[in-house]
Amino acid sequence: MNLLLIEDEKELALTMAKYLGEEGFRCEWADHLMLAQEKVWMNVYDCVIVDITLPDGNGLEVIDRLKKMKSNSGIIIVSAKNALDDRIRGLEIGADDYLTKPFDLSELNARIKAVIRRRNFDAQNEVVFHEIRINPYAHTVAVNDMAVTLTKKEFDLLLYFVSNPNRVITKSSIATHLWGEDMYLADSFDFIYSHLKNLRKKLQDKGCGDYIETVYGIGYKFSKH
Amino acid sequence: MKLLTLANRYYFSTLLLVFIASGMASFFILKSIINREFNRKLFAEKEQLIDELATYDDLKGFYFLNIGDRLQIQEVPENPQIVTNLRDTVMYDTYEKTTLPFRKLSFAEQIKGKYYVITITKSLLPNQELIKGVSEILLMLILFLAISLVLINRYVINRLWWPFYKILVQLKQFNIKKPEPIQPLQTVIDEFRLLKSVLDTMVDKSIRDYRNLKEYTENTSHEIQTPLAIIKNKSESLLQETLTESQLHEVGKIYEAAGRLSRLKEGLSTLSKIDNNQFLDAEPIDIQTAIENKLCHFEELVSLKNIQVTTDFYSRPLIILNNDLAFILINNLVNNAIKHNVQGGRIHIVLKEDELCMENTGLPPAMPIEQLFDRFRSSGDHPDSSGLGLSLIKRIADFYQMRIRYDYVEGQHRVILNF
Repeated sequence: MNLLLIEDEKELALTMAKYLGEEGFRCEWADHLMLAQEKVWMNVYDCVIVDITLPDGNGLEVIDRLKKMKSNSGIIIVSAKNALDDRIRGLEIGADDYLTKPFDLSELNARIKAVIRRRNFDAQNEVVFHEIRINPYAHTVAVNDMAVTLTKKEFDLLLYFVSNPNRVITKSSIATHLWGEDMYLADSFDFIYSHLKNLRKKLQDKGCGDYIETVYGIGYKFSKH
Repeated sequence: MKLLTLANRYYFSTLLLVFIASGMASFFILKSIINREFNRKLFAEKEQLIDELATYDDLKGFYFLNIGDRLQIQEVPENPQIVTNLRDTVMYDTYEKTTLPFRKLSFAEQIKGKYYVITITKSLLPNQELIKGVSEILLMLILFLAISLVLINRYVINRLWWPFYKILVQLKQFNIKKPEPIQPLQTVIDEFRLLKSVLDTMVDKSIRDYRNLKEYTENTSHEIQTPLAIIKNKSESLLQETLTESQLHEVGKIYEAAGRLSRLKEGLSTLSKIDNNQFLDAEPIDIQTAIENKLCHFEELVSLKNIQVTTDFYSRPLIILNNDLAFILINNLVNNAIKHNVQGGRIHIVLKEDELCMENTGLPPAMPIEQLFDRFRSSGDHPDSSGLGLSLIKRIADFYQMRIRYDYVEGQHRVILNF
């Protein structure tokens, strides 16, 4: 899978590239608009991550070019501006998603995967982690081919974990993922805990291994040890 | 006090003094002139009488004399030795049937060898009438002058001062958020020109300062994001490394702090955006639906704390609000009601046509109620909250001229918002 990161901050781009590289993405980086335009013209990317404010222009121009080329790339806007207008405009001209800086790498990763999944839409397309099979479209989960009934939040939580396997996922990143950016309650951490307990129990009931590992004080890790 | 009133006051007090002084002066001057003339006339008549007595033998036979109002000629045998004297007196007038003032000139004269004591009496009434008439005219003049002065004064003030009033009106309507330059002034008056130019400079400066500050705030908040994102992502990335538990903790703290800073920045930039009038678009917001959505969104948190939520929707008001601000408003209200609640507590929401009342159980506020809506006031037991929640609610309420009240009675926090 090829990604293009259009981001003028070198350190940010490097961190993103490192995290996403470990996820198996091949990342290319453009630090200004001209280079980005050149790259999207020459190569095909599964997903393009665009920062709107670039030193030599507006990142939205890249989206315009991609749309003119009838590209099938997924597009995620990353912006320091959390303005509803920008968000709406970005989505209107064809972006698939919008993330506000600063974001969690695990969140970006999950969004990229979701966008790529949607782009290569296939109802049969399932996300598999060992004995867990998740169908993101039908919102169904099966463990060892046995259906597991999850609440919406439990389902989102599981998909978030499976999208970021073997990663330490912070509690606040989970809270933001489940309740949005405006949601921030200390209590929500307790809730994540009780939610996780339910999820773990439901999965284990079907004979699933215990993949949810607690990283004390920080968050959780979804891994097969 | 109005300029016109004060000016009138000064004019009139001066005028009154001048009028009293000049009125009195003219009265006395007039009186003395008339008196002098009267006396001269009396003495002239005396001369005429003496002359006629000397000329005609039998004066009483003719009586065509037009001397005085009364004339008394008394023949005395020898020189009476009377000095000519002038006296004012009051006598009974048989025709007018009342006592009237008179002036009497008495003198003795020897005519053709005979001695006479003569008294010429003349009514003072016409003189008094004259003085009265002149005084009345004077009074009328004063009155007339006063009235014309008021009118002139009003006219002059309106006419001279209109540039001032024009500037005043514009200053009153001046809004730094939507600045309009002060309109050009067509006046020849130097003072007002100066006033206008001074104001222009001041207004320009404040507009420029305001704009700079606004840009500065926006830029800062924008520029802060990138380093914040780097800190956050670097620390998140570091969490993935094999670290010792204590190292992991330290990194976790860095990560958390970056998150807090980011939320704080978000809150502050929203506050400054409200101050800068950047939320202008508005649409009718269905408050009930907004509340229901929010409650649904927080459903799990509510059930986690075992909070009992009751709602009384008496009405379904549609309030014209900006979408973002409405979201923040309702979000923060519901959020607070959950956050500052206790295990097994209650939330009671009452919505009427012009009022939203949110009650929730909770511990007493840790600070005086008056300070609750200030920035950065957060109660100690929630170190993660930025303390901007209530401040945002207040600012949004102020922005839409809504009234917001808070009280804490018998273990219940209550926020009442009047639309």
